[in-house]
Amino acid sequence: MIEMILATIFFPGVIFVLAVSLFYEWIDRKLYARFQNRIGPHLTGPFGLFQPIADLIKLLSKEDIVPMAADRLLFTLTPMLAPALMLFACMFLPIAGPSGVLSFEGDLIVVIALLSLYTITVYLAGEGSNNRFASIGAVRASLQLIGYEIPLTLSLLSAAVAAGSLSIRGIVEVQAEKGLWLIAGIQLIGFMIFVIASQAEMEKIPFDIPEAEQEIVSGWEVEYGGRRLALFRLSKDLELFLLSGLGAAIFLGGPLGPVIPGLEPILYVIYFLLKSIIVLAIFTLIRALFARLRIDQMVSFSWRYLMPPAMILMILTEVIV
Amino acid sequence: MSFEIPIGPQHPIHVEPLMLRLTVEGELIVDVDVDVSYIHKGIEKALETRPYIQGLYLVERICGICNAAHSLCYCLNIEQLLGKEAPPRAKYLRIIVEELSRIHSHLLWLGHYFHTLGFETLFMYFWRDRERVMDMLELITGNRVITSYNTIGGVRRDLAPEAEQNLRRALDYIEERMRYYEKVIDSEPTILARTQGVGILKPEDAVKMGAVGPHLRASRIKHDIRLDDPYSGHDEVPFNVVTWDTCDCYARIKVRVREVYECVNMIRYALDHIPSGDYRLKIPSFFKTPPGESLARVEAPRGELVHYSISDGGEKPYRYRVRTPTLANLLSVTEMLRSRGDYEVYIADVPAILGGIDPCICCSARIVITDEARRRRMTMTLDDIIRLSRERRVEKR
Repeated sequence: MIEMILATIFFPGVIFVLAVSLFYEWIDRKLYARFQNRIGPHLTGPFGLFQPIADLIKLLSKEDIVPMAADRLLFTLTPMLAPALMLFACMFLPIAGPSGVLSFEGDLIVVIALLSLYTITVYLAGEGSNNRFASIGAVRASLQLIGYEIPLTLSLLSAAVAAGSLSIRGIVEVQAEKGLWLIAGIQLIGFMIFVIASQAEMEKIPFDIPEAEQEIVSGWEVEYGGRRLALFRLSKDLELFLLSGLGAAIFLGGPLGPVIPGLEPILYVIYFLLKSIIVLAIFTLIRALFARLRIDQMVSFSWRYLMPPAMILMILTEVIV
Repeated sequence: MSFEIPIGPQHPIHVEPLMLRLTVEGELIVDVDVDVSYIHKGIEKALETRPYIQGLYLVERICGICNAAHSLCYCLNIEQLLGKEAPPRAKYLRIIVEELSRIHSHLLWLGHYFHTLGFETLFMYFWRDRERVMDMLELITGNRVITSYNTIGGVRRDLAPEAEQNLRRALDYIEERMRYYEKVIDSEPTILARTQGVGILKPEDAVKMGAVGPHLRASRIKHDIRLDDPYSGHDEVPFNVVTWDTCDCYARIKVRVREVYECVNMIRYALDHIPSGDYRLKIPSFFKTPPGESLARVEAPRGELVHYSISDGGEKPYRYRVRTPTLANLLSVTEMLRSRGDYEVYIADVPAILGGIDPCICCSARIVITDEARRRRMTMTLDDIIRLSRERRVEKR
């Protein structure tokens, strides 16, 4: 029992996930800067490693303002809900072994549901702040959901069908048994769809439409400042970690790799982090390569170029299995 | 249901205070109202209180980016009043600096434009390469941004031979980079999706709305002051006037990219054929001009720039007036932003369309108050504004 509690709080639970997700934000920012011929964060700590946490602490210490027009309940609730949802979803990631802190048959569905719930939180956060830009951003976020949610779900579910299991643990274990990652084969298409749809889920270029700074002044989060904004930013870091971890677990075999007997617990963590950093680097590369699309272009893009391959992949996987 | 969205006076697309009141239905824009009068620097009035040579420094500060065009226009204006003309070598040097600052302005615009489209990487690359041009401006003129190169009766410094070698190398670099960027722009699907067919301004509308510069040339109209009214030896330096047929935001990008090539070729030609001789006339620091009026036009990076002055025979201008290209172009923005029929404008297109004219609001604000309700129209001077602000302050207390 005590072991379970320690695992939930420290490793590989809340504290570890928070630390790693801030580290991932640093990697994202640094890589993005290098792609753009900039230096990136380099002042706080070695190589600017502590920049994300410095930003977080700075935001937490700022004045807390609730606009008079805002819905007080939503304005307070959504910033707490967003990181909580993401943290909960991160508990399912197989960080220190084939199964996460939480694991049961069907947890993949729970993670997908949590991702959708996050977007709904974003919608409520935007509408709750009662600002024109925030409303437009919120509507765009929910409209975008129509575009990417189904391909994202289908790509994950095809992997589940290929592995014959609806739990993340099951999918990882099947990859271990076969000795072959799911990405080797037809699920490569699924991985590509997953990466593109994740980009929309995370609201990053070319799909950063709900918060488009140059159009609607950071969209749904325009009214949030201080610790509320800090919590939203934390939830974004957690989401970044969750999606890169999910990609690594489902398609790249998660914590699997050549093992030296006796060192498994450490090696599992290292393999998992390395693989998820590869996925993260792909996310960052996409972010550096494109301009922002318009909301109508985004939705038509998803239904034209993401949906049909996702459907075909599902059918093919079913046939092959 | 329609509601109003204020873009400005403070908004991330534009650091300058411009107000666009958009009436939107969903994501579609149905009406728009523009207000530029959030900033008034009183430069025209201040020019009337300074000797001509001091006015030169003030005029350059109307706009930091097109300062070379402003100072050139001012010098041409005063030279006309004096009935003098800059020596041939000065004219070529003026062309070199003018075209260099046009390259710098266009690179700045291209970078900023892709930033407004959300393409941060290209923004960083353009601005990195622009640094090379800034270094060249510093090498030739001694200053990076506000060049202070043109002076009444010529230019301030001669071109050193080693500077010429450096300049040629920089031009090769810029040309090579621009060829690469043009390839990127033409092959990048997200850029094409965001700019093609967006912000269409038909040639007849462009003329009707009084558009100028690259914005007008992107609407298929061949109009360039350097060609129509050669003001500084432009009749001797060959160049092409770049136009584009599609009349949309993509055309505006292409026109500016192609103009950079033209600028590079013009500078190369000017370096090859620069005549020897004096680079400035000897004109005393303080002088009087004969009474009269004069008007000078210059093709600034953003379009036609007009300076007009009246002299009463003293050593200061009696009246000075500046018409900047942005003011001429802003009217067409309202036309492009309105959805009508098949032509739909989304909120997401606002940065693309507004950015397309290369707006520089700080240069444009000249206060003319039109009160529609009371049917009156008045122009305010600096004194009026100061008086009014004092009265308002008293009222508030």
